[in-house]
Amino acid sequence: MAAVLTPDRILKEMADVWRTLGSQAESETGMGVLRACSMTLVVIAAPRDDSQALGETIAALMPEHPARAIVIHPDAAAGRDLTGRAFAQCWMPFGQRRQICCEQIEINASASVLEGALSVAAAIAVPDLPVIVWCRDLRLLERPEFRHVAALGTRIVVDTAQSPDPVAAIRLLERRLSEGVALGDLSWTRLTRWREMISQLFESRKLPKSMQVRVGTISPVSARYMGAWLVDSFRSANSAVTLEFEPGSERVELSGDNLHVELTRSGERLHTVVDGMKHCGSLPPVSDCTLMSEELKIVGHDPIFERTLRSAAVL
Amino acid sequence: MAGVNPFDDPLRFERRVPECTIVIFGANGDLAKRKLIPALYRLAYDRRLPPGFAIVGNSRTPLTDDQFREKMREAAQQFSEDTEFSSEVWDAFARGLFYLAGDIGDAQLYERLRSKLDELDGARHTGGNVLFYLSTQPSQYAAVAAGMGAAGLGQGSGWRRLVVEKPFGHDVASARELTDRLHTAFSEPDVYRIDHYLGKETVQNILAFRFGNGIFEPLWNRRYVNHVQITAAESIGVEGRGAYYQEAGALADMIQNHLLQVTATIAMEPSSSFRADSVRDERSKLLRSIRPMTPDEIRVNSAPGQYGPGRIGGTDVPGFRQEPGVDPNARTDTYAAVTFFIENWRWVGVPFYLRTGKRLPKRVTEIAIQFNAAPLAIFDGEASSSAPNLLIVRIQPDEGISLKFLSKRPGAGMKLRPVSMDFNYGSSFGERSPSAYETLLLDALIGDPTLYTRQDMVEASWAVVEPIEKVWRETRSDLPNYAAGTWGPAAADEMLARRGHAWRKP
Repeated sequence: MAAVLTPDRILKEMADVWRTLGSQAESETGMGVLRACSMTLVVIAAPRDDSQALGETIAALMPEHPARAIVIHPDAAAGRDLTGRAFAQCWMPFGQRRQICCEQIEINASASVLEGALSVAAAIAVPDLPVIVWCRDLRLLERPEFRHVAALGTRIVVDTAQSPDPVAAIRLLERRLSEGVALGDLSWTRLTRWREMISQLFESRKLPKSMQVRVGTISPVSARYMGAWLVDSFRSANSAVTLEFEPGSERVELSGDNLHVELTRSGERLHTVVDGMKHCGSLPPVSDCTLMSEELKIVGHDPIFERTLRSAAVL
Repeated sequence: MAGVNPFDDPLRFERRVPECTIVIFGANGDLAKRKLIPALYRLAYDRRLPPGFAIVGNSRTPLTDDQFREKMREAAQQFSEDTEFSSEVWDAFARGLFYLAGDIGDAQLYERLRSKLDELDGARHTGGNVLFYLSTQPSQYAAVAAGMGAAGLGQGSGWRRLVVEKPFGHDVASARELTDRLHTAFSEPDVYRIDHYLGKETVQNILAFRFGNGIFEPLWNRRYVNHVQITAAESIGVEGRGAYYQEAGALADMIQNHLLQVTATIAMEPSSSFRADSVRDERSKLLRSIRPMTPDEIRVNSAPGQYGPGRIGGTDVPGFRQEPGVDPNARTDTYAAVTFFIENWRWVGVPFYLRTGKRLPKRVTEIAIQFNAAPLAIFDGEASSSAPNLLIVRIQPDEGISLKFLSKRPGAGMKLRPVSMDFNYGSSFGERSPSAYETLLLDALIGDPTLYTRQDMVEASWAVVEPIEKVWRETRSDLPNYAAGTWGPAAADEMLARRGHAWRKP
């Protein structure tokens, strides 16, 4: 399709997609397809994005988080018109006879009509279900159109990992947070498995009165988040804490009265040493898909991230 | 405990195991190798075990720690179905594996065990927390409990819990006697009777489905529900368990525990909270509401069966009496169908049909709730009268929930046809579902007994099953009475036909 895009046109196109899929499946297997939808996922792609790779990531997310996916591609050549198409992502679960399908809508828009694309996305979002916006272009947070993004989504997810200035990126997010936007940052999501392990170590262990924390570089923003989270957590338990960053290593070290903890990534493993006792668990590399999969489980505010973001902004 | 963990992030973190030791009695047996060690390895792989976590295995076979580790390594490699085996993860996990050979009738074993636990507490900071797992023959439970009681192992500086596998006795009196023995070492809140059916995701989802949604509960009663069918069918035979199985039978092996627990979950009143005792109180109350039947009632509301030779998938399969280790004249029930009646305001008059059997056409476990027909049939056509509204909860395989209802066929005219609205657990949430043992072990280690069976529940279910067993023992049924690969004996069909109902073909 290469005609002007309106919400009505997209909705009609989606109805056609379902009719076609249903009759095809009916004639092949005797049963229709199963439509699955638990949210609307709006993806605002960045100019650098490879649209095929992004499409594969969205397709991989669907079995776990079935959604009406609306992908807005920046297209400088699109002029003032919006163009796009609707189609379905289908998969056949192992051992079953019925396909499961999710809707996907692609919208091409130049930067000058992004606001129009967002209004179309708002009109075709599935009613009564959460709307998560994955904003892949961090610069959008500084533009006036961001208020439309904020109005559209129940939660906005960004990724600050590639930000050239981590401190500025964190402060920008903190400003948006203070405006009441529910935010997620994949730089924080990358820390979950590390944080989980640290938390487990203190499940039934008394916290030392003073701690020295050394944080290696997972990414510059992630390191600041990790540092802020550790400092906040120790201080909330009345432990005095000093923090150092140690660029160039993927490790976290905690030392205090009679306690020494080291967590180090080595390939796909997370090695933990607590007072000489060793432990090893799986730590597979994370992709955008695995990170987003975790973020899509949270549809509103994330209080611990928000607390950490505020602290990281003043580190 | 050191109080609230300031690092916790309940929105994102998975549940984790606290520092502790697991003692497995019968560690050289099948259950430990096939289920327990693979489940614990998976927890280690997922970083859910703490660095100090330890396992002490016990059996009579003399083994060194290293020999035990090697055996368990083989088991983890062979039986970890959907988990990558990593030598690195295993080596770290195996450093916490220890072995203590000894006869469970020998009092010295428990003294040595106490020393070992003290030693581990010092070396691995387990906080004195110990979960004892009875993976032995049921006949040995009492001896282990007595040994632990005498050695004071039920008490310590941390928490102490005991996990027991079924069967929990073979009637009310023996269940009570077993409990009395377990209570010599552990108080009831620390006894975890495992029923792996309750650990299945879909069984847990029944609670979410019923009590997390507002639209179903108003229909969940005798006004709208016509009857309920619960089926647990297995396509396999006794698979080398002939000797054990001929002593137990389908009624005791499946209905007394798994299926009555599932019934309790589907029919219980809403609990006031999701706290363990609150949920278990309601389950228990429901089980106590099932009316024990008189012998005459049992004869028309139950049907035992035993499979004879047959063909499955083009292959000849032996009858039960031809299975290895089975008495050629065995009168064991390999199939059991029972109609239960729940006597409370919500369910009085609604039959609950339970059936289970071996060598049935396929492996399937499901609950089918059939609703009453619309009070007035205003549409012509067969479909409007022959396709009742059904809510199907599929427990295995293909876990999910389906609602069957009538819809107008597209096109001119008012022709109806049944359609299905499906929720498929695996495809709607494509994450790997933890195995029932992973879930239940984690629950026991965390101290959450919600999915475990309490003594009053065991006694309540024996109270309704015991009279049926007695009547079946006294009645000379003509066995075998169904061919392998079919849906059970004709008597089971007749049991439903008397009320104008028929078994679903799942």
